[in-house]
Amino acid sequence: MNMNDVIGGFSLLFADPSVWLIVIPGILIGLIFGAIPGLQISMAMAIFLPLTLYMDFMQAMLFLTAIFTGGGFGGSIPAILMNIPGTSSSVATTFDGYPMSQRGEHNTALGIGLGSSCIGVIVGYSILFFLIGPISEMVLKLGPAEMAAVILWGITLIASLSGDNLNKGVISGLVGLLIGTVGYGETGVARGTMGSVYLLDGIPAIPAMMGMFAASELFKLVNSQYLVEDQSLRKVSVKKILAGFWNAFRYPVSLIRGSLIGVFVGSVPGVGSSVASLLSYIQAKRKAKNPETFGKGNPSGIVAAEAANSTSEAGSMATLLALGIPGGGATAVMLAAFAMHNITGGPQFIREQTDVVYAIIFANFSQAFLLIGLGLIFIPILANIIKVPMNYLVPSVLAVAVFGAFGLTGDLTGPITVMVFSLIGLLFKRFDYSVPAAVIGLLLGGMAEDALIFTYQISGGMWSYLLERPVTIFILVMLVISLFGGKLVSMLTKKVKQ
Amino acid sequence: MSSENSKLTRHQKADVLVLLSLAGLVVWYLFDAYQASDHFANLILILPVSIVVLALCVVEFISQLRGKHEPPPDLDPIASMMPVILLFITFVVTLEWLGFDVGTCLFVAAFLWLHGERRIVWIVGYSITFALLMSLFFSKMLPYPMPMLILPTAY
Repeated sequence: MNMNDVIGGFSLLFADPSVWLIVIPGILIGLIFGAIPGLQISMAMAIFLPLTLYMDFMQAMLFLTAIFTGGGFGGSIPAILMNIPGTSSSVATTFDGYPMSQRGEHNTALGIGLGSSCIGVIVGYSILFFLIGPISEMVLKLGPAEMAAVILWGITLIASLSGDNLNKGVISGLVGLLIGTVGYGETGVARGTMGSVYLLDGIPAIPAMMGMFAASELFKLVNSQYLVEDQSLRKVSVKKILAGFWNAFRYPVSLIRGSLIGVFVGSVPGVGSSVASLLSYIQAKRKAKNPETFGKGNPSGIVAAEAANSTSEAGSMATLLALGIPGGGATAVMLAAFAMHNITGGPQFIREQTDVVYAIIFANFSQAFLLIGLGLIFIPILANIIKVPMNYLVPSVLAVAVFGAFGLTGDLTGPITVMVFSLIGLLFKRFDYSVPAAVIGLLLGGMAEDALIFTYQISGGMWSYLLERPVTIFILVMLVISLFGGKLVSMLTKKVKQ
Repeated sequence: MSSENSKLTRHQKADVLVLLSLAGLVVWYLFDAYQASDHFANLILILPVSIVVLALCVVEFISQLRGKHEPPPDLDPIASMMPVILLFITFVVTLEWLGFDVGTCLFVAAFLWLHGERRIVWIVGYSITFALLMSLFFSKMLPYPMPMLILPTAY
């Protein structure tokens, strides 16, 4: 690390204070777009991208990364309060956030979400600060075989999310995986479309999630008066939100593990924050002493999910800056901003404009602190939703989900998907099938198929190719250990005791 | 219900039906994918996953027939949800004709009436305000036209 570049980064940021004027609006835009289901962070960045034409490159980067940072946390607000993941990366936050809200611990849950998001951003960019070189080299070594192994690992871990009935949990996950492959595949043929042109692109994952998680839950709530029945628990308390914020520090292992998973998984192009947060959640549950409390309102679940989805922002920025490859929708918009300012990301950019890279990293540290302040102002306003009677809240949220789903697909496929999957979600919940596992499968289906096809094509059908990929072997070994390691250890311990 | 008792409860019968439907869906999808193309790459994921799901369904089917799974104790009666489910389906299905503006207004108003709100001013006021604000906000924010009945649209 060259100290001159570090100092150069600082001076780029602080030489002109006006650069910072656009950061607060950026974070607010991100928070609002993240908090409204159906409006994606990438959509916010795309809508406001033309504005950056009137900014210099540094200012444009600050503005767009501020939207990215605000949106990363914004998605967790409806996830916690209404069981609707505002963005796909907030799916895992619903698992424990919403049960906490139902218990009247919405203030604490929101505070924990804010705390872990902010710490996640700081940890993620700290890792990026020290490891941007090695990370970019590592990303280049990851091929489809490694991706397939990671996905396979994730899918086998679905079993740990399955509640009491393991068999039904795995069935749910695998059926979700199959549904995720509907439409045109890599081979250019359409499957499972029933002749409908609307399904050629596959089943839209986020509207399906909205239906399975939120709409099905809202149907169950129609006979309740309020989301939280006890009036004394419906209070919005800044003090409790703040206490929740500090509470995030009580789960350092989930926080650090989630941040590490976030930054490394987030740096793999195409994988993104949703997979990172799900993997982090699954790991937190597997390693916990009380895994049965996960999914019922365990704060560690929120910490794991939020830390990973925030740090994955830093991971995807690493790939963008070091290789010029966008990891997802948001970084793709940022790549467009690069192009608008005649800048190309990649090894040459890192080498020649290291001060700009450091300036972006430092700016994100500051944005994390600004997010704390803005979040603490913004959350109490939104948390009042808990006081709205259910006969007003249910139709309003269902309608927002329908509007949002239309926003995601641009036609009525989105609303129809919400409707169909709300009924499927209701059936799944009623008969003890795992909704989270099905959603994870749905998210990973297309990705898993693509990775397997690419591996098959690269290897020429020779499976011995996998033996030449040490990282793949390592991941597969980890998979076997995580599946059977615990049982093997307990068997050996029993034998030793005998 | 114990395994000694051969009679399944209504919930358990419905559970078996859901399982069979899932298995049927998987068989249909596998067949559809095979018909689309029998190329190895097309079935690289679908075939093995379908086989595993069907095997698990058989295991689950046997355990359900033995009556091993007790129904969860706190199930909400489905009949109480039916009016809302039907209302929601009607809302989504008629969006093409009623548009987001009128459709949302009618959906919210009908829901409020169904759930005991009898203050007409509240029903009318809230449903119109909510539908108008949402329709205007989303139509301004989204880059593509939305179906509307009263508000201007290029849909």
